[in-house]
Amino acid sequence: MTQMFRMASGGIVDRSRTIGFRFDGRAYQGHPGDTLASALLANGVRLVGRSFKLHRPRGIFAAGAEEPNALAELRTGARREPNTRMTQIELYDGLEAASQNRWPSLRWDLLSLNGLIAPLLSAGFYYKTFMWPASFWEKVYEPLIRRSAGLGRASREADPDRYDTMQAHCDVLVIGGGVAGLAAALVAGASGVRVMLCEQDFVLGAGLIGEDEAWRSAALERLAGMANVTLLARTNVFGAYDANVVGALERVADHVAEPGAFVPRQRYWTIRAGRVVHATGAYERFIAFPDNDRPGVMLAGAAATYVARYGVHPGRRALLFANNDAAYQSLFTMQDAGVTVAGVVDPRADSAAQAAARARGITVWSASQVVGTAGSLALSGARVARIGSAGTDTLVAADVLCVSGGINPAVQLATQSRTAVAWSERLASWVPGAALLPQFSAGAANGVTGLREAAADGARAGAGASGAPADALGLPEDRPSDVTVLPFWEVKGSGKAFVDIQDDVTADDIRLAAREGYKHIEHAKRYTTHTMGTDQGKSGGLVGAAVLAEARGERVQDVGMPTFRPFTSPVTWGAIAGTSIGKHFAPTRLSPLHEWHVKRGAVFMDAGQWVRPAYYPAPVDGDGWDSVLREARAARRGVAVCDVSTLGKIDVQGRDAAVFLDRLYTNTFSNLPVGRARYGLMLREDGIVFDDGTTSRLAEDHFFVTTTTANAGPVMQHMEFYLQTVWPDLDVTLASVTDQWAAMSIAGPKARATIERIIEGLDVSNEAFGFMAVADATVKGCPVRVFRISFSGELAYEIATPAGHAQTVWNAVLEAGEAFKIEPYGVEALGLLRIEKGHVTGAELNGQTTAADVGLEKMFKKRGDFVGKVLSQRPGLTDPSRPRLVGVRPVMRGDQLRAGMHLVESGTTHSLGWMTAVTRAVELEGWIGLAMLRDGVARIGSRMQAASPLHGALVDVEIVSPHFVDPENARVRV
Amino acid sequence: MSVSDVVKADHLTPGAYGAVGGDPVRIARVTCDVVQVMARKGRAADVAAALLASHEVVLPGPGAAAEGRGMTALWVQPEGWFVVAPRAGDGVLAGALKASCGDAGSVVDQSHGRSVIRISGSRAAWVLAKSCRVDLHPSVFGPGRVASTQLFHLGVTLRQVDAVPSYDLMVFSTFVTSFIEALCQAAEETGYVVA
Amino acid sequence: MIRIDCPSCGGRDEVEFAYRGDATVVRPAGDAGEEAFHDFVYRRANPRGWHVEWWYHQAGCRQFLKVVRHTMTHEVHAVARAGDRVEVPAAEHTGVPAAEHKGVPAA
Repeated sequence: MTQMFRMASGGIVDRSRTIGFRFDGRAYQGHPGDTLASALLANGVRLVGRSFKLHRPRGIFAAGAEEPNALAELRTGARREPNTRMTQIELYDGLEAASQNRWPSLRWDLLSLNGLIAPLLSAGFYYKTFMWPASFWEKVYEPLIRRSAGLGRASREADPDRYDTMQAHCDVLVIGGGVAGLAAALVAGASGVRVMLCEQDFVLGAGLIGEDEAWRSAALERLAGMANVTLLARTNVFGAYDANVVGALERVADHVAEPGAFVPRQRYWTIRAGRVVHATGAYERFIAFPDNDRPGVMLAGAAATYVARYGVHPGRRALLFANNDAAYQSLFTMQDAGVTVAGVVDPRADSAAQAAARARGITVWSASQVVGTAGSLALSGARVARIGSAGTDTLVAADVLCVSGGINPAVQLATQSRTAVAWSERLASWVPGAALLPQFSAGAANGVTGLREAAADGARAGAGASGAPADALGLPEDRPSDVTVLPFWEVKGSGKAFVDIQDDVTADDIRLAAREGYKHIEHAKRYTTHTMGTDQGKSGGLVGAAVLAEARGERVQDVGMPTFRPFTSPVTWGAIAGTSIGKHFAPTRLSPLHEWHVKRGAVFMDAGQWVRPAYYPAPVDGDGWDSVLREARAARRGVAVCDVSTLGKIDVQGRDAAVFLDRLYTNTFSNLPVGRARYGLMLREDGIVFDDGTTSRLAEDHFFVTTTTANAGPVMQHMEFYLQTVWPDLDVTLASVTDQWAAMSIAGPKARATIERIIEGLDVSNEAFGFMAVADATVKGCPVRVFRISFSGELAYEIATPAGHAQTVWNAVLEAGEAFKIEPYGVEALGLLRIEKGHVTGAELNGQTTAADVGLEKMFKKRGDFVGKVLSQRPGLTDPSRPRLVGVRPVMRGDQLRAGMHLVESGTTHSLGWMTAVTRAVELEGWIGLAMLRDGVARIGSRMQAASPLHGALVDVEIVSPHFVDPENARVRV
Repeated sequence: MSVSDVVKADHLTPGAYGAVGGDPVRIARVTCDVVQVMARKGRAADVAAALLASHEVVLPGPGAAAEGRGMTALWVQPEGWFVVAPRAGDGVLAGALKASCGDAGSVVDQSHGRSVIRISGSRAAWVLAKSCRVDLHPSVFGPGRVASTQLFHLGVTLRQVDAVPSYDLMVFSTFVTSFIEALCQAAEETGYVVA
Repeated sequence: MIRIDCPSCGGRDEVEFAYRGDATVVRPAGDAGEEAFHDFVYRRANPRGWHVEWWYHQAGCRQFLKVVRHTMTHEVHAVARAGDRVEVPAAEHTGVPAAEHKGVPAA
């Protein structure tokens, strides 16, 4: 017979429909409206998991987000998600879930033997037990711990579902859709402002079920009719950040077997709210007593929820252990629904609820406590004793023990946004105090309980947040309920009294931590792992704090509480990654010639966000090096063309443009004639080289600055910083034109012969258009700007054209160069050419080098201020023994050099420098490289060794000038 | 059909994609010229007067666009605007604007450097809100409003064109393929149509 | 995540901005010497309390903004353009006890 514990009526499950699900492979039935937890209880399943460390049997403890025990692996295969709370999993047809942390099975868990070695697994056991010998850690201890302690298993397959994001804004955000939240949203919504309400449950106003259902349905209907109100169920606000920005996770499709086409499984909301109403409710807390973790021990409010909301008896015979009158209502709800009541155990001598219970024929053990529980895999009874009596106790038969130690207002989100907290003597708990931000706490979250009072408090908060009047709202009916407690935290006795049921932390562990000096609440937390589980100590955090307080001889309120941080409940990595996965992790930047490179069969490489051709394999090439060498030879001996569109380009205009550049660069631009280009070097204010590039003067008040590919953005920001904050009086405008202009470098002895054929309206002869000349022209009717500049050390021209014309101009160049066997060359050949020439780039200008380090000290102007000038002269930066740029060649020409090799004196291991870049050369035999070497200039001509211990490589090398090719720089001027 | 099949280079293949049966958005490229105009020091009034005379446009302030004769001016930075107009010949718009401003303004042709994508439909704002951190709600945003912000990790100048609503999204041209792919992917949940 | 009310663009998320440090230091004249430049580049008050700092609105109007931010609470008291003066509030304008504050002079 299925669903033996399901009541014939009651609750909001849909009994007209039966849905099937599987738990640990067994088939069960439930109804729409169930959670996995309620459906398991309906089927009499009491044992649902094993504990984290000790593998003790555990049952369903709560009915919501505070659940410490009932964690499941939900779904199977690639969609398997570990550590989901059965109390929040909405049942759907075909749901499959499995219990966690048991081996080989839930009922026969061999690792429960851990309980026998429990003394070894006390607080801080990681630090103590496994310290020595160190070699045991990896091979013995860690695998052992990983098998025996832990939570569920994540799938190792790629997640097939999509996760999305949403950016939202509202005037009033109501967090929590209980009675207070609904009241706040009703009042704020009626005022016309934009309201959002987030509720983690799939049902709004769940607390009104079985109470004032009419008020609930009327409220939901009114809210649904308000166009300015957005209701988000299944949406947990997991974090409150600065300025009323909160993060929330909407479980869009977790309640169906598979999300529909194009529907995300979960959506990560970032909500910016003008005002926030915290209507997050309260969590019931338990009492620590020996064996308080046995399956069948359950929070009192949760037990009542299973009855009232799901129509499920959590057990046949219920016993209540409580220190407050409100918890008696839970028992009365169960009694009214046909659960046999075994009695009440109450540490208080007397109360109104005790009298009411006796009037109902319920046995009340007043001034008493539960000193232990009986049963193995399920509760069979509790041992009850009068407080202060020694040795004598009574075993009371019960299969469900309802526990209530009072309530803790859910102040987590409020305190994350720096709302102060205050101690409530009435609740023996923290309640919200003054808010830093425009925020309001309402209802149980504000320490105000009872449906009617909570609704009124919600209405007040909604009014405060929206400026609307609160008094028009009708309030729900409720029953008397008094949450005043006798502070009562722990029953001492033999047996484990847990203060954190998920993490297997006992009251004794807290005392041990205190004895060992971890007395601060934050230290005790980390030493014992108290409140560090997925439930974040919602039901036991304060209990542990109270045990710590007693150990310290102080009051609970003087111990304080650990800082609450996001996330209040676990959020999947899928949701955090959202759509930023795969190629959408970061945007890709493509040259306007990219399609041509693809068609040509280029091998690509990433350069920051750019995707650039590394080289272009040809059928004759044996490997990549063949391609690179072939391309570089073409540039040295014939002609080759490279797509350099990625270079940063900045348009600088204004009356003071030249002065501005003089102050930013180490060299002078104010004396640069119109129609000429000049290489420039830029420092940071601390004297370190920042960037380099060529700047052209297009008109008296108009410059065209180029930057390295990598630094285009940072240089623009650097310029804007100085222009806006340091020299705001200068008449200068800046515009990034990197994307406007495609650029290609035509290099080689045949470069002029090539472009002569296509350049229209410009004489590019050496006489008319000498080295570093700049002029406008056309190619095939397309506007171009021609620069006679060279990065390769060869005769070279750079042709820039508006990006839309790039393909036309590029094709024209290739066609014109055909006679000279022109080759396109990629980034690898570009690197080869520059290393041969001794030009520095990012590998040398790495944020640690000065101009002198890379041999560019002559670029400092004699007069006038420029950024970095003063600090570049500091002794540490002018020390002549600093590592300096040199060239390196293997003595045996066939030896390979590697980037990152260290340079050492032969026979020693003390590093005197390092290789920054290496390549096989075309102008020389074998490998060459650039290096930064201590006393580098003095060592030119000497022999050293280059070592890469990682590769087991040691190569005899000679130190040479970094300019391997054409040190006189004659080729560029022919 | 995956987004990378729809977006080839920066070209969009016409068709209907993503979810069906809902209210799809329309996504299209807009061909236009874009010219950046920045006032020289202390010359903003001169630039404004010049463009009013030559293009009948009142240069807008922060967060706004203004229509002129055959062109639209978008505020992008203090004393700086983008002028957008239907595509003409190379440098025609920039030349006209430079002739108008003279030495009062810096004029930079960005017609090739910026690309414009239009998204349109009743759910366009919802699709954009997956990434757009600027509030596009009709109570605070609307036709003629402009915001430079970040969408799908990229800098975007967003202009609401009409009340449909339609939005023109101006991005750096070298990122446009990447941008369109991300936009199309975001639009799959509502479905999208490429005309 | 802090929100910065850009004088031109309105309230925007922190992700649109790049932090550029203390806005109270002033670049010395070119001939002011090494000590002055050392202080300009390296020496910072690191206050616990209100701090005037540069935030660059990279994804928006590309302006360097002067932001008065509380280093404990992340409250943003005022945002101004680079050339404008900003007012730094007295310590009691925040939820943090006054004893925890050390104000910094206005830029």
